[in-house]
Amino acid sequence: MSRALNRRVFLASSAAVASVASGLTLQSAAPARAATGTGTGTPRVPDIDVRKAAQQDPSEATLAEAVVLMRRGKLTSATLTEAYLERIQRYDATYQAYTEVTGDAALAAARKADKGQRAGAGTAAGGLLRGIPLCVKDNYFTKGVPTRCNSYIFEDFVPDQDATAVARLKAAGGIVLGKGQMGPLATTRATLPNGTVTTVNAWTPDNPAVDPGGSSTGPACSVAGRLASSSIGTQTGGSIVLPSNQQNLTGLKPTMGRVSVHGVIPLSFTRDHAGPLARDAMDAALMLQVMAGPDAQDPRTLGLPDVPDLVRAATPVVSRGGAVRVRRATRVGVPGDFLSAQKELRGAFLDKLDAISGITLVDITYPEDWTLLTATFNAARLAERTEPFRHWLRADPAKFGVSLLSWLQGLMLSGDEWITAQRAKNHLLREVLDTLMNRCDVLLQTGPVPFDILGLPEIGFPIGFDAGGVPVGAILGGQPYEEDRLLEVVAAYQAVTDWHTRRPADPAASSKLMRAETVRPRLSAEEVAAASA
Amino acid sequence: MESPYPSAEPEPITETPLSEPTAEQLDTYVRTRLTLAGFDLSLLPETFDAGTGVPTRAQVLTSLRSFVASTPGAISGWTPPADSPAYAQQASPPLIYPSITEAWTGKAGER
Repeated sequence: MSRALNRRVFLASSAAVASVASGLTLQSAAPARAATGTGTGTPRVPDIDVRKAAQQDPSEATLAEAVVLMRRGKLTSATLTEAYLERIQRYDATYQAYTEVTGDAALAAARKADKGQRAGAGTAAGGLLRGIPLCVKDNYFTKGVPTRCNSYIFEDFVPDQDATAVARLKAAGGIVLGKGQMGPLATTRATLPNGTVTTVNAWTPDNPAVDPGGSSTGPACSVAGRLASSSIGTQTGGSIVLPSNQQNLTGLKPTMGRVSVHGVIPLSFTRDHAGPLARDAMDAALMLQVMAGPDAQDPRTLGLPDVPDLVRAATPVVSRGGAVRVRRATRVGVPGDFLSAQKELRGAFLDKLDAISGITLVDITYPEDWTLLTATFNAARLAERTEPFRHWLRADPAKFGVSLLSWLQGLMLSGDEWITAQRAKNHLLREVLDTLMNRCDVLLQTGPVPFDILGLPEIGFPIGFDAGGVPVGAILGGQPYEEDRLLEVVAAYQAVTDWHTRRPADPAASSKLMRAETVRPRLSAEEVAAASA
Repeated sequence: MESPYPSAEPEPITETPLSEPTAEQLDTYVRTRLTLAGFDLSLLPETFDAGTGVPTRAQVLTSLRSFVASTPGAISGWTPPADSPAYAQQASPPLIYPSITEAWTGKAGER
């Protein structure tokens, strides 16, 4: 262990001990490290240009645009919060993005934020997210607000504390607008616990059969449908990047340990990650900058590399002549099967990426055992969901509803098989880092699971629309604790494209009519087990 | 004095392929494992309950028989590539959190 690392571990441990000693176990809420914007080390939302559409309709604004508008006195948090609540009132019977809306508390917090606005919104001192309404996935503990994880198991659960990530967002000025609907126990797209589809894809509100992505379905729909500025979700098997891809968002699953999962209802301990589903790379950076950092309640967050300057990373580099270049020269790995689906869209995406100064595309070939280690071995996670749920499996298995099968499959794996899978993770890690990524800095993915297994970071972002008008996205994976590199690439791509600025049309039919007349599909227990995160 | 232990030079082990378990054997295994884990199959409905969507007893058994027949063997059949089992033992010790280990061993975040 290097001396530098020793010091890093020591400092993280000291901070953790200090926070426990002071009773601030869940309130270590300052952003983990100063972000850029001023060059002085003080976190600050950069003074970006605000699009005309955002000036005219606050619900259209990105998180960063909303902060800038507030800073300039052109928008109040109360106005923004009311705009979202009005849209929730009008459209959420169709979208079903929220399972709980905390409108009164949100408005009260917004008015309080407006009073303190002069203290300096968009800075660490004033609250980087001051007055920004957020949707929180319903598997994060929220103090005094039901946290049901969309399951009969937690139907009466009201936590007495916030999850660390929620506490950090609130301490930075974020306002919880409500709880986002999700796949039952974080398994699939959002359904009722009995499998009946609830949340739709915001791009196809009239057709619940279109996949909205899961399991962070509600958080994704809330941002895509302009019912919140930004949102947080969790990912065990693609649950941040997939709904982001399906609903034209930028979702960032950080490296394991980057964000505390204390206060998040577990699905698979070794693979549960917390992260943002946002409107673009800058918004994702702002959210993660606040969420990330050590937490004494989650030892997995201790002794890790510093949180990089994510806001700087998400700020595109544009020359005076308007040419965009990536912040650091970056080799983007393209696996051999990348064009096996969405060939035309992905091909155009690669062309656009390749044209950005500083980007080099590199062909990557998977090792022979790739499918075995990333697909077959994916099942090893199931034992991890069984163990923390033993009580309910024994007492009343019907409470698992349609999701029960994968919890029972976990019982069928033995300890030695689970150990084999952990050894395979070591082997796979070396293949990825020493064989694949020694030729590239970031690696395009054709599915989220390999990097979920390894706890490596990945970001989902929009690259176009299919023939049916449904968004199509790409997933980019990175080296451990290099979320900044992912943001640099996506920020450069978003500086030369406008997919991320497109919004879906509002639902046409009256919400009550939609709810009554639209037939909602239903997932079977077998389908849920096969699709489970 | 004759040693009570076997020879230091063990006989080579010849692995003969086992026959596939029958459906009846799989069923017995699944039921026994559920019972040992404290899971009471009789708490599930015999016919589909639309209210909860919970799978029936028959659905559970069918699913678990299929899982047991396919997945554990596929996992346990893997060993790290090595010249012999003795060297395979030494390869790829288990990493529960690979990314975190990469940081704790000083290999991450320094690029």
